[in-house]
Amino acid sequence: MIELTDIHKSFGSKHVLRGVNLTVPTGTSTVIIGGSGTGKSVTLKCILGLVTPDQGEVRINGAPMTDDGREAFLERFGMLFQGAALFDSLPIWQNVAFRLLRGNLKRPKAEAREIAIEKLRRVGLTPDVANLFPAELSGGMQKRVGLARAIATDPQVIFFDEPTTGLDPIMAGVINDLIREIVTEMGATAMTITHDMSSVRAISDNVAMLHEGVIKWTGPIADLDQSGDPYVDQFIHGRATGPIAAVR
Amino acid sequence: MAVARTLGGIGRVTLGSMASIGRAALFMIRAVAAIFTPPFYVREFWHALLTIGYFSLPVVGLTALFTGAALALQIYAGGSRFQAESVVPSIVAIGMVRELGPVLGGLMVAARVASSVAAEIGTMKVTEQIDALVTLSTDPMRYLTAPRVLAATLTVPVLVAVGDIIGIFGGYLVGTGKLGFNASTYLQNTVTYLEFWDVGSGLVKGAVFGFLIALTGCYYGMNSGRGAQGVGRATKSAVVAASVLILAANYVLTEVFFAA
Ligand SMILES: Nc1ncnc2c1ncn2[C@@H]1O[C@H](COP(=O)(O)OP(=O)(O)O)[C@@H](O)[C@H]1O
Ligand SMILES: [Mg+2]
Repeated sequence: MIELTDIHKSFGSKHVLRGVNLTVPTGTSTVIIGGSGTGKSVTLKCILGLVTPDQGEVRINGAPMTDDGREAFLERFGMLFQGAALFDSLPIWQNVAFRLLRGNLKRPKAEAREIAIEKLRRVGLTPDVANLFPAELSGGMQKRVGLARAIATDPQVIFFDEPTTGLDPIMAGVINDLIREIVTEMGATAMTITHDMSSVRAISDNVAMLHEGVIKWTGPIADLDQSGDPYVDQFIHGRATGPIAAVR
Repeated sequence: MAVARTLGGIGRVTLGSMASIGRAALFMIRAVAAIFTPPFYVREFWHALLTIGYFSLPVVGLTALFTGAALALQIYAGGSRFQAESVVPSIVAIGMVRELGPVLGGLMVAARVASSVAAEIGTMKVTEQIDALVTLSTDPMRYLTAPRVLAATLTVPVLVAVGDIIGIFGGYLVGTGKLGFNASTYLQNTVTYLEFWDVGSGLVKGAVFGFLIALTGCYYGMNSGRGAQGVGRATKSAVVAASVLILAANYVLTEVFFAA
């Protein structure tokens, strides 16, 4: 279980997170929605300690996140970054197999490569991309390589930052199914950021809406359409008018 | 009122620069710790040896060649005022190995390596590759900084040694080709008056400069601001800081080694 309590974060004078409270139960899929620039990515980074919150606490299975705790947590963790964040000095397969080629999970090169190619296949990429470099792929392909890297070691906790942005609708469907499968079949805990409402419906058990630095609404996906929350309603129907200003 | 504001401003700047010095010192300690504690990334280290050391050979060699040649002309001109032209071989050698080899070689490597390291790591920072490393249980200090700092510390002395030889050879070419020195006398004078510590001190300087170059490159890269502009600024700052640090360290080391 991942618990965020009263997380605050400012960058200079910009107060991005203003008291985020959120609980993600183990083995469930939580989707964070919210306008761009509201701090969704920053929220994920606060959990990982990539960004240090100014205030508030992150707990993993009840224990506060310490340096040692973080190391153990990351051992069974994977993340897809919003911009894919592939290592441009390494070929695709070595990106995917990064963890399998060094550290505690190291294994023979041939085996690591085989696993990488299998994971690439799962995100809809053929083995002939394996030896290319990230710069030779389109944005959507890079995103899927990032996804393959995130799931390469079958982690128990996975964060996906906008997994379907930049993908065509069919490929987005494939990725949605994959994420759902990872949660249902592997029992993984997933946190996904997305703007794509079909993705939200396909992936989530629970939905949390971030607005003005706080979680404005959270609840099971079944309640999303009857949330009675004007912010959620405006967002899921994509209305230009409502409580959320279109100019931000 | 104005006085208070001025003092306040001075205080802020002082505190600010103390804080940056503290951050840089902390970074240095962490980098050194990362070099000596596992895991070690051997492939990254070999790669750094190649890019920092081997590929710097041409620029360091050319710098040394022209410097040694110009030095011979200058010393000949100066020496002739005292009828002491015969000092050219030994002064060229001493000047090269003690001072100009390490300093000019170091500055050229700073321009080449501090900039590329800062730009590479800075780009990794702004494209979240550093964050990705952390999520893949890989410490950026050990994976990125340690191999580069170690490789530079070990290879810059070698570059300096090569530069010393080429620089002396540059002086030899001018001395024998233009200034009328006998080839074997020139070489003999070079070797006879050169002491072990002349060369040794230059190599130690090279190691310190190499350490500073890679460290500043990594430091500014890791602390790069956002976007292309952030990387550009980090690159520029890394080259400036590395060059100034080299010159300052050179003074301190010279003082330590040779002040009576
Ligand atoms: N490292 C940083 N330095 C300064 N500002 C940042 C940084 N990271 C994020 N921000 C700012 O925080 C806000 C939220 O960013 P982000 O979490 O990326 O938004 P999103 O909800 O679209 O993922 C943005 O206004 C962004 O400019
Ligand atoms: Mg984002």
